Amino acid sequence: MRHTLRRSLKSASVLIVLSLVLAGCTQQSMLGWLPTERGLTNQVDRVIDLWVVSWVVLLVVGVITWLLILWAAIVYRRRRGQTGMPAQLRYNMPIETFYTVVPLILVLGFFAFTARDQVVIESPLENPDVSIEVYGKRWAWDFNYLNENVYAAGIQAQEIPGGGVDTALLPKLYLPVNKKVEIIIESRDVIHSFWVIDFLYKKDMIPARTNYWYFIPQQEGVFRGKCAELCGEYHSLMLFEVHVVSEQEYTKQIQALRSAGQVGRLGPELNVNQNLPGTTPASERE
Amino acid sequence: MTTTAPRPSVTEIPVGLSNARVAKRGNVFVDWLTTTDHKKIGYLYLITSFIYFLIGGVMALVIRAQLFAPGLEIVATKEQYNQLFTMHGTIMLLMFATPLFAGFANVLMPIQIGSPDVAFPRLNALAYWFFSFGSLIAVAGFLTPQGAASFGWFAYTPLSSQTFTPGLGGNLWVFGLGLSGFGTILGAVNFITTIITMRVPGMTMWRMPIFTWNNLVTSILVLLAFPILAAAMLALGSDRVFGSHVYDAANGGAILWQHLFWFFGHPEVYIIALPFFGIVSEIFPVFSRKPIFGYKTLVYATIAIAALSMTVWAHHMYVTGSVLLPFFALMTMLIAVPTGVKIFNWIGTMWRGSVTFETPLVFALGFLISFVFGGLTGVILASPPLDFHVSDSYFVVAHFHYVVFGTVVFAMFAGFYFWWPKFTGKMLNESLGHVHFWTLFVGFHMTFLVQHWLGVMGMPRRYATYLPEDGFTWMNQLSTVGSVLLALSMIPFLLNVYLTARNGQKVTVNDPWGYGRSLEWATSCPPPRHNFTSIPRIRSESPAFDLNHPEVALPLAMESGTAPVGSKK
Repeated sequence: MRHTLRRSLKSASVLIVLSLVLAGCTQQSMLGWLPTERGLTNQVDRVIDLWVVSWVVLLVVGVITWLLILWAAIVYRRRRGQTGMPAQLRYNMPIETFYTVVPLILVLGFFAFTARDQVVIESPLENPDVSIEVYGKRWAWDFNYLNENVYAAGIQAQEIPGGGVDTALLPKLYLPVNKKVEIIIESRDVIHSFWVIDFLYKKDMIPARTNYWYFIPQQEGVFRGKCAELCGEYHSLMLFEVHVVSEQEYTKQIQALRSAGQVGRLGPELNVNQNLPGTTPASERE
Repeated sequence: MTTTAPRPSVTEIPVGLSNARVAKRGNVFVDWLTTTDHKKIGYLYLITSFIYFLIGGVMALVIRAQLFAPGLEIVATKEQYNQLFTMHGTIMLLMFATPLFAGFANVLMPIQIGSPDVAFPRLNALAYWFFSFGSLIAVAGFLTPQGAASFGWFAYTPLSSQTFTPGLGGNLWVFGLGLSGFGTILGAVNFITTIITMRVPGMTMWRMPIFTWNNLVTSILVLLAFPILAAAMLALGSDRVFGSHVYDAANGGAILWQHLFWFFGHPEVYIIALPFFGIVSEIFPVFSRKPIFGYKTLVYATIAIAALSMTVWAHHMYVTGSVLLPFFALMTMLIAVPTGVKIFNWIGTMWRGSVTFETPLVFALGFLISFVFGGLTGVILASPPLDFHVSDSYFVVAHFHYVVFGTVVFAMFAGFYFWWPKFTGKMLNESLGHVHFWTLFVGFHMTFLVQHWLGVMGMPRRYATYLPEDGFTWMNQLSTVGSVLLALSMIPFLLNVYLTARNGQKVTVNDPWGYGRSLEWATSCPPPRHNFTSIPRIRSESPAFDLNHPEVALPLAMESGTAPVGSKK
């Protein structure tokens, strides 16, 4: 009995390792199909690990449950010619206790890892190297580079016939690589959501409220950003690009904004909501 | 307090029409219009909500067609696309799933507790008409110049304000849902009173069928959640129409609305899940020829789910940066425990049983298999670090279709096939039922499974279109093809209903399935106006089964299911 148990445990572990290795054939599946790469920011590795481990545990639980469903239905099917009634079993305390306590332990464990990672991801970085204020507006983005005192005003994505948009015209957010970044997230009108897909993070942009996101981009490249909260008709055209660039290139881009005369900050005076009846316009506030 | 005396029947009133046929048709019409019979009101709910299910389904097909390829313009403007998914969500949640609960509860719950009717029959009729007219008002937005509401079914302010979504459609949506919400509240009051006060002698709380238990718990949840919705809606209506400032962003109104809405919205998910858990809890025992496994555990699990569901609303708000993440994460994850208990209780019911695969059980199994996956993705979404990425993406869309479609639609059809003889006196066709199941099951998974990957790879929900370079195209095409198959699965069902009505064999026995357990199987198909001509003795949660199979019924001394019984024959 003990021997067969050990053998079946061994074969089960071989199966699990084998399936993981086979699944590892593609890099995508090793990342749990997350659209990113390890080391892209200082946060993604943490998310990838939690995501993949959670999925493996959950799928084991799920597969066991599905097999139990099929097993109970198939093994205890009523055979041809069978008559009479099965034992009218109503309770089985040990089994019921088992399937209450085991999920509880799993859930508490999952919560522990969740809480650990969430605290790290949500913690502010001290003395950020760049502070960028992002305003969501229907249906584009304004970027204020606060340290450099320049700004970039984005426009809505321009559709081209036959599908797609003109990527040259998309709002672009420049970030220096390996620097501590602080994103200050605000909205001019309705709720938007600032989602950089490859960085596995989004945060809502809520009018009259400020949110923050701190991270360190660790690889150069161009990454997709999308608005993730319904904001009206052209929600699907509220796109942008994040360009993570070298220090020199970053300075060059800032210089370009400055020579274009985009000096200063597009502040809350451009918000739409302040003109609602019953609120004091900014001009009369101070 | 209760009005059970029969009203003068319409047919007794002399009508001055010479054409008897016209008179008869008119009588039927007036009879349904003025009925206070809980069964007829229940059928009105079921028919109305099924019509809304079909309307919402057609909208979903248009949405899927629009997403078949990037840059399509099947829907003329993006604004119209927004109207479509807004009304699809509104219809499916508040005009299909919620009244469907009221429908099943109205028809079956009084019979299951041996009552001649509900406690307040006229209030019951009023509740139906509130729902009916409220829903008509909300969808009437399509007839206005600017079209229906387009701010999403959760109507986040300030997008849903007059400034950003002007037009009558939004006003009709707000006040229509307010009215329909009052109908739901009145219905819940009625169900609770009926269950507490109108059980037949011998029907103790611990002998009520699980379906009735779940109706009780659901109705309590309705009383906790829907008044908040009604208040929030009326305040939004007042902002929109009278220019009040409840939800001004400057006053923190954007977050206030989210809290109010989800304080309703999350319990609402369980309001539309628990009754359908109740339906499959009735079906598994009948086709396993065994009592429900862990009856009391199941009831406590239901209560635990309901209690926890009141503490998790802000998991819809993880990315707002305004909520205490660890608290809501822990509460949300804990819901997995009682839900798991239910799943294992259903498996335990089949375990060591004698299982046959009639259509109701096949649909119940389809529910179970789909729902497990929705539960797994629910646990993933409960974790804020993972939710930050997939929140508001197609991953969420896939998740809630697995839990809501997996529960409501599969369990609805399970219930239809199961109780059709009780409703109409005729059995639906089994072969067509199996064809219906397999097309629905395959179509459903083909539509929604791939959407998990879409979301993970970065497709936000509510996008009218996407980019060719996003790489979402083939997955969207698979999903759209699946949705067509899903829609086609309605044909065998509607055909089945039609053929059964025309040619179906009349059911002459009380219990055509042979192993029915609760009281509705101890009266005729369909039941008489006041449900019973005689009621069997009730000494367990399965009175009809005890009556028909005394050889395996509980021994008299054991009383209800209070003691663990594992006796062998």
